[in-house]
Amino acid sequence: MSDMSTTVAPAPVEVKKGWAGQSVPRKEDKRLVQGEGVFVDDVKRHGMGYVFFVRSPYAHAHITSIDVSQAEAIKGVYGTLTGEEVASLTDPFFQLSTPPGAHLKDFALAVGKVRYVGEAVVAVVAETRELARDASELVEIEYEPLDPVTDARRAQDDGVEILHEDSGSNLMWEGVYEWGDLDAAFAEADKIVKIDELHFHRFNSTPLETDGALVEYNRGVGQWTLYTNNQFPGFAAIMMGPAMRCGLDKLRFVTQDIGGGFGNKITSHPQLVVCCLLARKLNRPIQWTEWRTDFHLSMSHGNERWFHDTEVAVKSDGTLLGFRTKALDDAGAWLRYEPLGGVIWAQVTPGMYRWRNIRLEFTQVATNKAPVSPNRGYSRMQHLWFTERVIDIVAHELGLDPVEVRKRNYIRAEDMPYETPNGCVYDSGDYAQMLDVALGLIGHDGIEARRAEASARGKLLGVGIGSTLDSGTNNFGQSRMINPELQFSGNNEVATVKLDIFGEIVVTLGTTPQGQGHETTAAQVVADILSCSIDDVQVRAGHDSYWNSHAGFSGTYASQFAVTGLSAVKGATEMLAAEIKKLASAIFGGVPVEALELADGGVRIAENPDAFLPFMACGAIINANNAGLPEDLGVTLNCRYVYRPPFQVPDVEKKFGNLTLTYAAQVHVAVVEIDPETGAYEVVDYAAVDDCGKRIHPQIVEGQVMGATAQALGAATHEQFEYDAEGNLLTPNFYDYHVPHALDMPPLKTGSIESPSPFTPLGTKGMGEGGGAGIHAVCAAVQDALRGHGDAIVWDSCNPYHRVWEMLSNPGASRSLVSVVDA
Amino acid sequence: MNVSGERTFAAPRATVWKVLNDPASMAKTMPGVESFDVQDDKHWTANVKIPLGLGGLKMKIAMEKTEERELEFAKMAIKGNGVGAMMNMTTTFELADAPDGGTAMKWAADVKIAGPVGSMGQRVLQPIVNQQVDGVLASLDAEVQEALAAG
Repeated sequence: MSDMSTTVAPAPVEVKKGWAGQSVPRKEDKRLVQGEGVFVDDVKRHGMGYVFFVRSPYAHAHITSIDVSQAEAIKGVYGTLTGEEVASLTDPFFQLSTPPGAHLKDFALAVGKVRYVGEAVVAVVAETRELARDASELVEIEYEPLDPVTDARRAQDDGVEILHEDSGSNLMWEGVYEWGDLDAAFAEADKIVKIDELHFHRFNSTPLETDGALVEYNRGVGQWTLYTNNQFPGFAAIMMGPAMRCGLDKLRFVTQDIGGGFGNKITSHPQLVVCCLLARKLNRPIQWTEWRTDFHLSMSHGNERWFHDTEVAVKSDGTLLGFRTKALDDAGAWLRYEPLGGVIWAQVTPGMYRWRNIRLEFTQVATNKAPVSPNRGYSRMQHLWFTERVIDIVAHELGLDPVEVRKRNYIRAEDMPYETPNGCVYDSGDYAQMLDVALGLIGHDGIEARRAEASARGKLLGVGIGSTLDSGTNNFGQSRMINPELQFSGNNEVATVKLDIFGEIVVTLGTTPQGQGHETTAAQVVADILSCSIDDVQVRAGHDSYWNSHAGFSGTYASQFAVTGLSAVKGATEMLAAEIKKLASAIFGGVPVEALELADGGVRIAENPDAFLPFMACGAIINANNAGLPEDLGVTLNCRYVYRPPFQVPDVEKKFGNLTLTYAAQVHVAVVEIDPETGAYEVVDYAAVDDCGKRIHPQIVEGQVMGATAQALGAATHEQFEYDAEGNLLTPNFYDYHVPHALDMPPLKTGSIESPSPFTPLGTKGMGEGGGAGIHAVCAAVQDALRGHGDAIVWDSCNPYHRVWEMLSNPGASRSLVSVVDA
Repeated sequence: MNVSGERTFAAPRATVWKVLNDPASMAKTMPGVESFDVQDDKHWTANVKIPLGLGGLKMKIAMEKTEERELEFAKMAIKGNGVGAMMNMTTTFELADAPDGGTAMKWAADVKIAGPVGSMGQRVLQPIVNQQVDGVLASLDAEVQEALAAG
């Protein structure tokens, strides 16, 4: 049962009076709670056709024939689209990878072959959603089944079927990362802890709203308008434009409200291409709302990853010197955003620890499963789970206290900003303090008494810690470590702030909010700078790439709005403030701008407040009453600012450089009780402590922390995309894929500290992806509970009851994965 | 999924063999058969509604006898197409004289259901298949006895 209590640790920074820092009512919420939001499925057009995708029942098969004639003969069916048509009308999507992954020929529909159950083969459009679905049953497709590849560990074995003949193997990308001096580290070590295999499982985040679009084609100018909930239109555009052989100006992306994204809505570009082609072919708007089972089957699974042959160099006192491991990543059938996961993890290479000597061999393979793509905590979550597992296994095997091992090895507050072995710079933070706050929230001092009390009830109590980093504001130059030919680097975001004719303050963002409260936090920043009320600030809802507030990296993803979005807002607002003063200086007859101040919704002479020009007057003068103004005034009151983080292009050869600008952190502590007879367990106490720098809106931050915790607990205990040997997804629906409900949540205590980032204009850090900490914490807690009861090692990130029972029943199976040798 | 078993019929091998090779008789033993057509002595088709998981799965079934040794052995390949699901099955029947009289039949089947419906049904497939097999064998027994009575 949920028993929410909140404890906030004393904030170490001064509280500046202003809108920022206050949990004001969210501007978005009135329309949302009144059901007046506009989501993609709310967008209707006269004569629109509904699209339904016919999907492959086979994990791996040649397509020998497709017959759409019966479906097209049905009254009310507007038409169809097949892979062969797509292949003639478009080029394959651009691949980010070097060979062999670079050779993939990825089209919007399957061409000649299917590679996972649920892959879209034919699109059927009809006058109703139901008719399209019914008519799809009349599409006759003949297949010639092939053996599927469902285990990444076997994907490169001799004799295994090749998914992509063009690439010649199931290897997609590989790279070796090494920093420091591994030989010296292992020579210095007292012990070497060896871990043969760890496995991070496949799951995703289940947005309330599935993917969708309403696509119109303007035949006269050859331009598509896509009302869509894609959360990264900049990426979708660069994928779609070249494939569709059109300029990006022909692709207009529009969004108002989005019901959650979590990264899962980044890679809908294949479906959007299908909608575009159909809108042009059938000369009518095309509406696509993804069915939930289709979402489970085919969209955006998180990366499944194995860690093999791990060796950790450690001193007897628990001082960590270095590690080496081999990461094997299962990309699924296509590289839709991959192999970027092969470098994104490196943003957090040493986790939260002072490891200086690291080697990681990264291999990514294709399998007959749904393609992976970003999922909240993308690629860093897998790696941070690995580092946290290593910490707890080392502590477990050496008989050390996991708290002490962490504190001994955490990067210290006095070391901030801290440069990691691979050149990333952790901007600020005090991880040990966060851990103390978290331990305090669950009463760690009394944990042994609780353990004894649980034992008396026949339960095994365990406590586990999860420390995680939420790296935000990507330097897209890191993509060059995957492929040196890629011409991406840095990052950017845009905002415009203007004064309209009646003094309306209108803010336009380049971002695509999905519930994060951008309208509210942007208004807070603007109101502080213009010295007005947030009620006077109108932030346009949603995103439109035809607004002039759109840059190549515009979107909402990867924990960056509080830095990129709000810094752009800050920059544009400061430009506007300067222009307002400049205008007032002219109006007031040459009063120096330094003598002017903004206050109470206008500009005035500081020493003569009666000399006051309201914003309404400023807007009216510039926009409608501007005769007589100086020719060289240079004021438009319509200010656009592009925020560009201070990045350099990383050193591709050394794989060295600052990959993200900010490092928010979360430390979670979980307490579990296990029934030793069945393996069933319950999270009986839980604390999450967050540090994301300066918080503009603490309640929104706390909401993110709670949501991320729910994500973690679902993943840690039962959410998994599980395939059988034939490549059937066994969990393609809510019967088998259980997403946590409110009643599944444990008592949750939250705390926070604020370590402002020295690198960002507002001291903020992007946040929202710290959910991994909960997975680490539950794994650690289960392992702690099993201590002395077989001493099983938790080797998988998902531990449903049956797996815990197996660890209790046969601890030797997991114990055989771990060994300790004297160095 | 592999299923197999043995069954003894109180009838001579010729009678059992005849029933196994008579499409009309076999159609009566199969669950959910809505129509049945014989193309030739090696190829049959049927429209069936297979009870699976949350509801019935309609399929067009094509059966091909791929191997036979009269009175001893038969092997069939069965392919089914339904909405969102495909079934591939190979099944074998092996007949022998039972020690105590009658006919002993060893049978085996390898059943694969692909696609979304297959995924949804996987968790309940085994008990359903077992239940259906019991029903098929009971019906088969009845057909054999009827054929025996008819001489």
